[in-house]
Amino acid sequence: MSGLFGALGIAGTGLTVYRKWLDAVSDNIANMNDAVATNADAFQARYIVARAADYGSGTEGVQVGGAVLSGKTDGRIVNEPTNPLADEDGNVKYPDIDLGDQMSQLIMAQRAYQANLAVVDRAKDAYQSALQLGKG
Amino acid sequence: MTIGPIEAVGAGSPIGGLSPIGGLEATESTTSTNGADFAAMLAGGLQKVEAAQDRADNLAVQAATGQLADVHEYMIAANEAQLTTQLTAAVRNKAIEAFNEIMRLQA
Amino acid sequence: MLDDITSVTVKTALTGLAMRQRVTADNIANIETPGFLAGRVSFENSLRTAVENGSPAATSISNDRSLEPTRLNGNNVNLDHETLTHLDTNMRYQLMLRAVDTKISLLRTAIGG
Repeated sequence: MSGLFGALGIAGTGLTVYRKWLDAVSDNIANMNDAVATNADAFQARYIVARAADYGSGTEGVQVGGAVLSGKTDGRIVNEPTNPLADEDGNVKYPDIDLGDQMSQLIMAQRAYQANLAVVDRAKDAYQSALQLGKG
Repeated sequence: MTIGPIEAVGAGSPIGGLSPIGGLEATESTTSTNGADFAAMLAGGLQKVEAAQDRADNLAVQAATGQLADVHEYMIAANEAQLTTQLTAAVRNKAIEAFNEIMRLQA
Repeated sequence: MLDDITSVTVKTALTGLAMRQRVTADNIANIETPGFLAGRVSFENSLRTAVENGSPAATSISNDRSLEPTRLNGNNVNLDHETLTHLDTNMRYQLMLRAVDTKISLLRTAIGG
C-alpha cells in the first residue's frame, strides 16, 4: 500500500506495533491476580519487542520483533489458606507483575500510537495539497 | 492532436509585398530574421508540447499501476503539459488572427 | 475520444480503486463479525502486465480473502490497516481523477482554438 503515499504506510506499521503493545499491557494487567498452585508456573508478563523493518536498506517502518515472556515463573508466594488452590502451608502463587511498571508502559504505548496518528494526519494534508496543484 | 491551421499558413501563400512566413526553406532565403524565428519557435513549441504530454501520460500510467514514487511528479508534469498546450494554442490563435487581419488589408 | 492507452489505464485503475473502497468499507463494517476474513482487492500487478502487453482493458480486478491470523472470534480485520487503506485509496482515486481531468482539458484546449 505504501510507495506513492509512503508516509501513510510507514506510520501504519507504527500503529500496528503500538496497538499490539497496548494489547499486551492490558493482557498483563487483566491477569495480574491469576492465582495458581505453588507448584505451577505463575502467569508471565508479556513484552513486545519492536524492531526496525529493515534498517538501512530502504524498507521503512517498524515491526514486532517478537513477544517475550518475562521469565518470572516463580511469582509471589502469598499466604491465603482460604483459597481453593492453596497448598498444605496455605500458600498460593501470584504473578510477579508490577502495576506501576505496566501503567508507565501503557502511557508510552499510547503516546507512541498518538504520535503515529499525527503523522498520518499531517501526511494526508500534505499529499492532498499536492493533488490540488494547478487548481484554481 | 495536430494544430491544423498553422499548416495552412505555412503552405507558403504569399502575402503580397511581405516575405512569406510559411515554409522553412522559403523563410531562410529572406533577409528578414523574424520569419525564421517564428516558424522555428512554433516547430520547437509543438515538439515540447508533445514531449510534455507524453511525459504526463507515462507518469499517469505509472501512478495507475502503483509504480509512481512521488505524487508531485505527476502533478507537476500534468500542469506543465496543460500550460505548454495552452501556450501553443494561444500562439496559434494569435497567428491566425494576425493572418486574417492582413488578409483583410489586402481586400 | 479518451480511448488511448493512458486513458484506458487510468479508467481501469479508477474501477479497481472504487472496488477497493467498497471492500474496505465492508471490512470496517464487519470488524466484530465472528469468522469474517478481511477482503483484499488487487489489480495493480495485472494492470501493469496488461499495459506492457498493450491492452490495459484486459486487467483482472480480483477480490480475495486475507489469510492473516485471526483473533479469538475468527475475525482478522485490522482496523489500523483498513483505515489507512481507505485513506490511501481515497487519495489515489483523486489522483486518477486529476489524470482524467488533465486529458480532458488538453483535448478541450486543442479543440477550443
